[in-house]
Amino acid sequence: MAIIETFDLSRRFGKTTAVEDVTLAVEAGEVLGFLGPNGAGKTTTIRILAGMIAPTKGYAIVAGHRTDRDVEQLHETVGMLTQTPGLYDRLSARRNLEYFASFYPSIESQSQVEKYIKLMGLWERRDSKVGAFSKGMKQRLALARALVHEPKVLFLDEPTAGLDPEAAGEVRELIRTLREEGRTIFLSTHNLNEAEMLCSRIAVIHTRLLALDTAERLRRRFFRRRIIVQLESLDARVREAVRKLPFVQEMGEEGSQLILELSDSERNRPELVKAIVEAGGRVIGVSEKQYPLEDVYLRLIREESQNES
Amino acid sequence: MSRRRIRNILLKEWALLFTDLNSAFVITLLPFLVVGQGILYIWLASRFAGESMLTTQVFQTALQKLVEAIPGITQLPGNEQLLVLLLSQFNFFLLLIPTMIAMSVATFSIVDEKLSGSLEALLATPVRTWELLLGKALAGAIPALVMTWISAGIFLLVVSGLGWGELIGFVVTTGWFLTLFLLTPAVAMLSFMLGVTGSARAKDPRGAQNAALLIILPVFALIGIQITGIVWFTPSLILVLALAIGIADFITLRAAVRLFGRESIVVQWR
Repeated sequence: MAIIETFDLSRRFGKTTAVEDVTLAVEAGEVLGFLGPNGAGKTTTIRILAGMIAPTKGYAIVAGHRTDRDVEQLHETVGMLTQTPGLYDRLSARRNLEYFASFYPSIESQSQVEKYIKLMGLWERRDSKVGAFSKGMKQRLALARALVHEPKVLFLDEPTAGLDPEAAGEVRELIRTLREEGRTIFLSTHNLNEAEMLCSRIAVIHTRLLALDTAERLRRRFFRRRIIVQLESLDARVREAVRKLPFVQEMGEEGSQLILELSDSERNRPELVKAIVEAGGRVIGVSEKQYPLEDVYLRLIREESQNES
Repeated sequence: MSRRRIRNILLKEWALLFTDLNSAFVITLLPFLVVGQGILYIWLASRFAGESMLTTQVFQTALQKLVEAIPGITQLPGNEQLLVLLLSQFNFFLLLIPTMIAMSVATFSIVDEKLSGSLEALLATPVRTWELLLGKALAGAIPALVMTWISAGIFLLVVSGLGWGELIGFVVTTGWFLTLFLLTPAVAMLSFMLGVTGSARAKDPRGAQNAALLIILPVFALIGIQITGIVWFTPSLILVLALAIGIADFITLRAAVRLFGRESIVVQWR
């Protein structure tokens, strides 16, 4: 069942269109990666979905609430991690969380604050002023703030931007934990690896929604599946044997590797290996050629830019 | 729930206010500077200008109004009449304290949060705009009010210390108490509501402070109107004024909620 649904969602700022006709649905428990270049409308979309700004056209329903109408109820059911941690530096970690928790009527704030300070690994520093925290610690505390009221949907706007690799890794680990708990997460990011690592589906936006699917299906949309057969050495007999196989659609070479496109990559593999071995070839390994998500993303953005021009 | 939220906003604001040296300095020292300066001017006026001031048309009119309000003053010598006239302006002069503190503190209350990014996080919670504005205004108005009352006490002590103790009975009248305990809270609240609203509407910190400068002008106008004898603020007039400003507080809060523009705060400058 969809917990986030948007219908022709659009937002203009004066003459500039930030988001145009975005229609999508996110299932409960899903982690959706929201990718796009700077100024593509990621933050605007998140702000609309979190009820911070209203769309100029279309509408969105999040956790059963119209984001432009039931704002107060919506804010009780969603959590938001903004691009900047937005904490009070002169207050302690605990005091920061207590303050934000105090706005939610349905929670027992003390126990929730303790729970999330512990979960974020900040218990030892709970009474330290936030101003003395590292960027990573601040981001973890901001994540605790977004979670303190147990939201049904969590919006994360570039949660690892500006963090060093270690701190970014810690934040990713926390997001992974949340995913395993079955939370619905809408994750805006520039980091394609992060999106692939954490998200079940990926949406690419460039003012308009360009694609929405699993990383694997997005790859297949642009790149055909290719099998790499790593051989000890590649000779004419092996080449000939492979070429004769009826299911081999395309064949290429790279050193002692054969790069093949098969009719059915899964089913044809045993026969392929058998034919190579019978032709005297020594197979070291068979794998599928991996196309980085970045290639898919760049093609999508490039195509969109060409369409625009 | 609203009371709990407002209380929490207020406590958070105080925690930030009193850990900020600049704000703490303004709140604690400004009243002493205002009282000190006011007394100094009165002392200088009575010491060097003295009774001759009363010969001017402006002061004659004011003195006439003062006599109408406090007939017993005619028993005093001219120099002391002048002193009573000047010291009687002090209850209005004290109104500068909450307005100046508002100018310094309230104007940045929204701007600072916007700059640090905490306002966006706050606006993502179910907090209502009026709860946020009222909490912030009260957080500034309450300490400003307390400092004004402390300043009034200091004023009376200094007046006694300067040997003008016997004049206190002519100065501390019903009007004095009404100004201190009805008009001042209303003005303090209005100053902070306007300061917070200006802060929310401003495009940058400088704009917020410029807008807040306007708050202080009506207070000077009150002093000017009375000391020039245009109007003498009798207790009933002060009561009406306090009531009018109390209504203005309520209207300002409602207008502030409309003007707040959560969306523009999230989208515009950072």
